[in-house]
Amino acid sequence: MPHADAGLARSRALRLAWPIGVAVVGVVAGYLLSIGLSGYFVFLAVSAVTAAIAILGLGIVTGSAGMIALCQLTFAAVGAWVVSLFNVLEVPGGFVVWLIAGGLAAGVVGILVGLPALRLRGVNLAVVTLGFAAAFDVTLLQIQFPGSKDGIPVLRPEGFSTDRGYFFFSIIVLAVCGLVVFWLQRGRWGSSWKAVAFSERGTASVGQSVQQAKLTAFAVSAALGGISGGLLAGQVQLPFASSFTPLQSLALYVLAVMSGAYLIDMAIFGGILWVLVPELLKRWGVPQDWGFVIFGALGVQALTSGTNLGQGIRNLWWKRADRRAAAAREAAKADAAAHPAVVEPPVEASVPTLPTSAPRPASGEPALSVTGLTVRFGALKALDEVSLEVPAGSVMGLIGPNGAGKSTFVDAISGFLPQASGAVRLGGTTLGRMSPTKRARLGLRRTFQQDRVPPALTVDAYVRFVARRRVTAEEVAEVLDFFGCPPARTRLAGVDVGTRRLVEVAANVLARPRVLLLDEPAAGLSHEEHLELGARLREVPARYGMAIVLIEHDLDLVRTVCSTLTVLDFGRVLASGPQDEVLADPAVIKAYMGETEML
Amino acid sequence: MLQGALAGLAAGGLYAVLAVCLTLMSRLVRVVNFSQAATGMFGGFVAVWLVTETGLPIWLGSVLGVLLAGVLSGVIGWIAATWLSEADTTTRSAMTVGPLLLLISLSFILFGNKPQPFASIISGPAFTLGGVVISQVTLVTVSLAIVVAVAVRILLTRTAIGTRLRALSERPTTAELLGIPSKPLSIAVWVVTGVISAIAIVVVAPTQSNDAISLAMLIVPAAAAALLGGFKRLDLAVVGGLVLGVLSGLVAQIDEVALIRNFLPFLFIVVLLLWTQRKEVWDAAR
Repeated sequence: MPHADAGLARSRALRLAWPIGVAVVGVVAGYLLSIGLSGYFVFLAVSAVTAAIAILGLGIVTGSAGMIALCQLTFAAVGAWVVSLFNVLEVPGGFVVWLIAGGLAAGVVGILVGLPALRLRGVNLAVVTLGFAAAFDVTLLQIQFPGSKDGIPVLRPEGFSTDRGYFFFSIIVLAVCGLVVFWLQRGRWGSSWKAVAFSERGTASVGQSVQQAKLTAFAVSAALGGISGGLLAGQVQLPFASSFTPLQSLALYVLAVMSGAYLIDMAIFGGILWVLVPELLKRWGVPQDWGFVIFGALGVQALTSGTNLGQGIRNLWWKRADRRAAAAREAAKADAAAHPAVVEPPVEASVPTLPTSAPRPASGEPALSVTGLTVRFGALKALDEVSLEVPAGSVMGLIGPNGAGKSTFVDAISGFLPQASGAVRLGGTTLGRMSPTKRARLGLRRTFQQDRVPPALTVDAYVRFVARRRVTAEEVAEVLDFFGCPPARTRLAGVDVGTRRLVEVAANVLARPRVLLLDEPAAGLSHEEHLELGARLREVPARYGMAIVLIEHDLDLVRTVCSTLTVLDFGRVLASGPQDEVLADPAVIKAYMGETEML
Repeated sequence: MLQGALAGLAAGGLYAVLAVCLTLMSRLVRVVNFSQAATGMFGGFVAVWLVTETGLPIWLGSVLGVLLAGVLSGVIGWIAATWLSEADTTTRSAMTVGPLLLLISLSFILFGNKPQPFASIISGPAFTLGGVVISQVTLVTVSLAIVVAVAVRILLTRTAIGTRLRALSERPTTAELLGIPSKPLSIAVWVVTGVISAIAIVVVAPTQSNDAISLAMLIVPAAAAALLGGFKRLDLAVVGGLVLGVLSGLVAQIDEVALIRNFLPFLFIVVLLLWTQRKEVWDAAR
């Protein structure tokens, strides 16, 4: 279909071009403002731009990656300090080079402060950053900015030395920062930030290092803070510590949370609020400190309700768009019903039906072999000397009553239980004490019983993030279609949990692992969807080339899908082998199905 | 040298009291309350205003200020218990950043950003030890920290209300199903810790840098001290506070390392966290 290809190429070009287009329009608007605004407002506008860049950085750490960072203006102070220092030292290259150096320096400081945060989450990081902000503030008062004692003003970039020119310059910097953040958010890093905010286990299990995700978020955020501070140094030319107090960092954090600063437009809006609120208060003759009181109260509101302005507006917009799309579909359906002459060929033919015969076990080298796997939780032996082999290109069923140790088995194999003893070999590789991330990269993937699909992503971004390899849009569409998932453009936030877990399975299949462990993937699906998933899974080994371990309660499904079976009971392997032999085993019938039930 | 260390002990006692309150909050109502010191600061400032402007006796002004701090803390607790009862610790803690910002700014508006003329409730030396003077303030704060820690421990382990509080903190939903009034109880915890923090701040404020920022930011050394006990153990929180106070007192004596003094709580926090979190732990169960 050459026509469709051309259309696809055009839409791809458009996808690439529109952010640049927006940035160019923004810069042009900035230029017009820089010649149109009065001098006083130009100065205020630069303040808004610097605040917007700092908030943009906060949006990454607090909005996307879900960490609390309370020292954004400390990073800004680092940037301003470096710019002042380079100015005093007359480092060649001029302001632009100094600004970049300031951003980099702040990024490095961010990494240093963030290093202890690698293993930390939430509150601890907040304590670390608040402590850093408080300490740096006092120190800054003592050491001052370079050149401030002698009154050496920071030289603005050539050609942008007037206030108006400098405002235009700051708009260009903002546009560049906005573009960079946009692309980062759309890329792997952005996906990893949103994934780590939702679930660290989920992130590690798809081969993404949790530490790296946190550190990149922290570094990028700090670097943006540094650039914001450097810009401020150029704006005021003699920066003082009073522009970078912890109190302002707190206010900036609150502002970022309530505006929803992980959305670029809202970060800019936050920057405008940062300047507008005190300015309005000043005009009304109200003390400007009320500004922070307002921010504090609104911040409590935003944090308790878990909503923010930007997301609220978008949700409204999306709801309308969805309703319109649904109405259009309905209309099309009614239209088709009204004109039955146009008969479409049946598209349902591709849905496979469940075969009645049991699948045959594959032969050859095992994809996964486990020997003597033991997991203790205190006195309880959750897994006791479990040994089994998963033949390559097969589906193995792992069954057993509740509490038999099935999920513990998956956790231990995927590396989330470092206390597990025993040997696990994936293909020819011994996994030993490897981290979950490393195991996933070697080709051992798993899904979770609970929802571990980050709702902040689209289906497309999530599938690509999980796949961890270059996949074409066609491949994504194909695998989504195969599993009956919603189309790639769908936002995961608007998808029910059962379907999310289906998307999780599809994405992990697209990753083409050697072995895929599925922990009750059908929980939350309807009976029909359940059967359909079983039929798909049966095809997966041949179609995508991997072995599957399937934990499942529905014995009918197990019987039609799995070639081999392992039965766990109280952490021990009761039986393991070809399906019909295992199900005929009297011990299995007795322990698992009850004595009277006939198979 | 010893004089410096003991001079830091008064501050250390204050850190310890706040750290005990933080630990208590973390254990019982699942929050790291960033506004813990700020409510006390605000209550203290109101007490100063009552004494200097309306001429109330010092003791009455202080009591009113402390009570106000308890009420403020209770209001924040009410917000947390009403809208964030099911939220995780991080979200609940993040919410308290709002009141911290609000209270500092509000105190700037009402009282200005200068240090406040706190009248000493307690002053003068208590006794001398080996030629070094121990002030009454030091004695009171350190014993307050120990008394509060011991009292809380007895309350939690020996009394019926303590059992309820523990049930509430460990299994909030189950506790509620058992008929334990979770909301009033958790708000009560907020009020009590607010009162205790405010008492400590009012006692120590006359001898410390007592502008709004300095007092509200006491949360940083307090959190550092609480971290020694992992926000769980009261005894270690007390030890952490005292050690941190003594260390700052020592460092302040040596000019060469004076800059480090600012970073002392921060370094304390970082080292402790790296040590306690050295084993990688996964976020939620399974």
